[in-house]
Amino acid sequence: MRKKVIFLLAGQLWKDAFRSKVLLVALGLMGFLLLFSAFSGWENYHDLNHTRDAIQNEAQESWENNPDKHPHRMAHYGSFALRLKHVLSVFDLGMENFVGNAIFLEAHKQNTVNFSEASMSTGLLRFGEVSLAMLLKVIVPLLIFYLGFATIARERENGTLKLLIGQGISRREIVFGKWLGLWGLSLIFLLSVFLVVFSFVLLESNEGTFGDSISRFMVLFISYVLFFAILSAITILVSAFSKTAKGALVKLLGIWLLFTIILPKSLQALGYYLFPTPSKIEMETAVEHDLIQQGDSHNPDDPHFKALKDSVLQVHKVANVDDLPFNYSGFIMAQGEKLSTEIYKDHQARLFQVYQKQNDLERYSAFVNPYTAIKNLSMAFSGTDFRSFLHFKAEAEAYRYHLAQEMNQLQMDLIPNKGKAGPNVISNSYWKEFPPFEYRFLTVSKVFQNELISILALLLWGILGVFGLTKIATNLKAL
Amino acid sequence: MYRLLFQSFFRTKIFLISLVLLVTVGVISILIGKQYLVKQENAIAASQEFQKESIARNLEYHKEDLGLLLYYLRFTLIKQPSTISAISIGQSDVNPLLQAVTIRGLEGQKYDTDFENPSLLMSGNLDLGFVIIYLFPLVLIAMTFNLYSEEKEQGTWRILAAQTSARAKFLLKKLGIRMLFVFGVLIFLLFLASGVLNIALDQNFWAMFLQSILYLFFWSALCLFIVSFQKNSSFNALALISIWVVLTVLIPAMVNNYVLNTYQVPEALEAMVEQRDGYHEKWDLEKDATMVGFFDAYPQYKNYTVPEEEFSWIWYYGMQHMGDLAAEGTSTEMSEKIMLRNIVSEKVAFFVPTMHAQLSFNSLAGTDMLSHLDFLQGLEKFHEGLRLSFYPKIFENVPADTIDWQVHDVKFHKTTAHLNWLRLLLPTVLVFLVIGVLALLNLRRL
Repeated sequence: MRKKVIFLLAGQLWKDAFRSKVLLVALGLMGFLLLFSAFSGWENYHDLNHTRDAIQNEAQESWENNPDKHPHRMAHYGSFALRLKHVLSVFDLGMENFVGNAIFLEAHKQNTVNFSEASMSTGLLRFGEVSLAMLLKVIVPLLIFYLGFATIARERENGTLKLLIGQGISRREIVFGKWLGLWGLSLIFLLSVFLVVFSFVLLESNEGTFGDSISRFMVLFISYVLFFAILSAITILVSAFSKTAKGALVKLLGIWLLFTIILPKSLQALGYYLFPTPSKIEMETAVEHDLIQQGDSHNPDDPHFKALKDSVLQVHKVANVDDLPFNYSGFIMAQGEKLSTEIYKDHQARLFQVYQKQNDLERYSAFVNPYTAIKNLSMAFSGTDFRSFLHFKAEAEAYRYHLAQEMNQLQMDLIPNKGKAGPNVISNSYWKEFPPFEYRFLTVSKVFQNELISILALLLWGILGVFGLTKIATNLKAL
Repeated sequence: MYRLLFQSFFRTKIFLISLVLLVTVGVISILIGKQYLVKQENAIAASQEFQKESIARNLEYHKEDLGLLLYYLRFTLIKQPSTISAISIGQSDVNPLLQAVTIRGLEGQKYDTDFENPSLLMSGNLDLGFVIIYLFPLVLIAMTFNLYSEEKEQGTWRILAAQTSARAKFLLKKLGIRMLFVFGVLIFLLFLASGVLNIALDQNFWAMFLQSILYLFFWSALCLFIVSFQKNSSFNALALISIWVVLTVLIPAMVNNYVLNTYQVPEALEAMVEQRDGYHEKWDLEKDATMVGFFDAYPQYKNYTVPEEEFSWIWYYGMQHMGDLAAEGTSTEMSEKIMLRNIVSEKVAFFVPTMHAQLSFNSLAGTDMLSHLDFLQGLEKFHEGLRLSFYPKIFENVPADTIDWQVHDVKFHKTTAHLNWLRLLLPTVLVFLVIGVLALLNLRRL
């Protein structure tokens, strides 16, 4: 293959493209959509984070301003965890608007993460959202198909393909030249989007977060470059195998519909159909059932807590719980918290396993649908996928548990038992010392682990694309 | 003539593909609807059992202290399920079907979500509504984009043009046959859904039926409009798919982005903090700080005494109520904002048939934003009713076993139906007429 010839052919494709109305319309439309989604994405990110940050601080301030009181009052006073958006959520909204944003953290109880945008939206949300990534995932592929469907098919229809071959240009050079040209065209859209995203990353990063953001950014960039290479290869392949340009277009449109809409949605629905999940009330019933079986701290005759009481009394060689060297109800609550949290976490883990099974059907379909690969990868590296949400949820729960147990510990250490002398409240300096909730995003290496399937699928598609191009080159029919 | 046209249509590949695609996906969507209804039934059964059991168990532990017993007891209000919601699941997967609340502050309980897989929420339900709004237009496009151009490209148009004087009529007949097929499948699926899902053939069903028919009329007119420009097949395919993307993806999504950004709801988070602080700060204040406000709200309890130095349930539940009162203003603002989102969306939808179809389906199925807001209002009333019936008993510490707990079974909330035929049908009819007339005018040049 001669490089010069390939570049010449690619250049020719560019020239033709810029002469056609399709590209002009596409560029105009994309320019408008780019501006719109960059603006609305930034506004969304900036305003919501600003609000959540303010509320988090307000909640912390009122926490710290509590007067001296009984530590268990503070365990009920509780705290909030607000989910902050990653700067790359400007790029890919992912599940951002479908997961909750705020959770109340209190003793004895795992609350739900509430106030998702979806819960405050009309049915319009189901049409999807416009984001920079959505343009690259959904709209640009369509444009690539529009721009490329005719490349080889029409040359064949016009008879110019025969002429090219007659001039001594090899079939392989034609195929790769066209592919390179189309890929190059698609990169115009890609670069303009990523330039905008890069400026957001620079704008929002500080020393602490820059490394994380830029490595996520680079992975996204490389993945999309590869994704467009694959799409361009598919276009050229279909165009080469179709008798007429019209046939190529119809096939490509079918592929687009199948890849971006029909397959992902049907598989997600199928996953849901195959692996049903319990409703919240069913899970709560099951949790309560387990709790009663293993130890119910509310039940005065509960065998688990009765045995616990006897053993504590024995260890400390006292006859009455009020004679123990620590506050006994603090101790019981700490044990109860531990037990109920374990049981809850266990049920929750099972629920999430079912979710994962539901999602896996679509996730593994990445091997037949490159769109799925890029979709999952893009969400994950933008910090807007399900795992990122679970990470937030886990961090919030860890903080809740820590808060409750810390308050129980303070009660054990500082509050006297019933009938004993001593203060019933402790100094408010203890609340002031308790650190506020701070959310940290998943590390990049963790995201890599989560998205292994998608990365693998994308790479395989890349190899398949190159293989396909080489293969058709030898079989390309001139007439 | 018709027989020939029918025969040639039935022989096309696209006819077979469309039939298989629509019927398969349609049946799947109905099955998904069925599963959705089963899940609802299970949740309702579970909540009934949960409530009965938890009342019985807690009654055993806290018989002598009604205030403490009611601290724990949860009472369930369920949105009355209707089978038609299985056609258009709408927002009912995001918003909970039921809420089990204690008589403590409501603000902290009212917005609790149910569990649902966010990936599913994101990709949306594959309900029959989706099939009608997204797939039917695609099939119409696939069957009509070359209505004219295929004759031209195969060279048959010249012969036809020579043989018939009414060329536009010929195209209309061809279109009519394809429409007949699509409408046939649509009607079959709707009645199948009604049979499988036990949907009563009531006003809402017929409204949905009519809306679907009109929606597809709109798409047929649109296809005819593009065809009437007499461009080649590739151009038509490209143009129609682009229009489909703009109408079903871009415009609704952009409107949604705009609405979410313009009407942000920080009030939701503010109310959450206000409620907590409004309740908890009362623990550290004089009893009067609670009781004055509480007696203002409910003067009928003024005669109960509140001991100054010790804990009492009247004080406790007073404090709880003060939390709700502290958040009341912000909470109302929040509902108003959400309402505003709905109003703006509906206004824009007036001009965009896809959006209008989705919103009206949801509204007819009772799975829209408004019906959830209505449920939340019902929940407030339900909660207040519970509190007012229990307050005097708690304040007098009536023995728990003298109360008839049988009546405290789960309760159902009925959404008041609001069906405005004009609002429902007019937008689609208007857009259909405008495009239809334009298409016919264009066809005259044929």
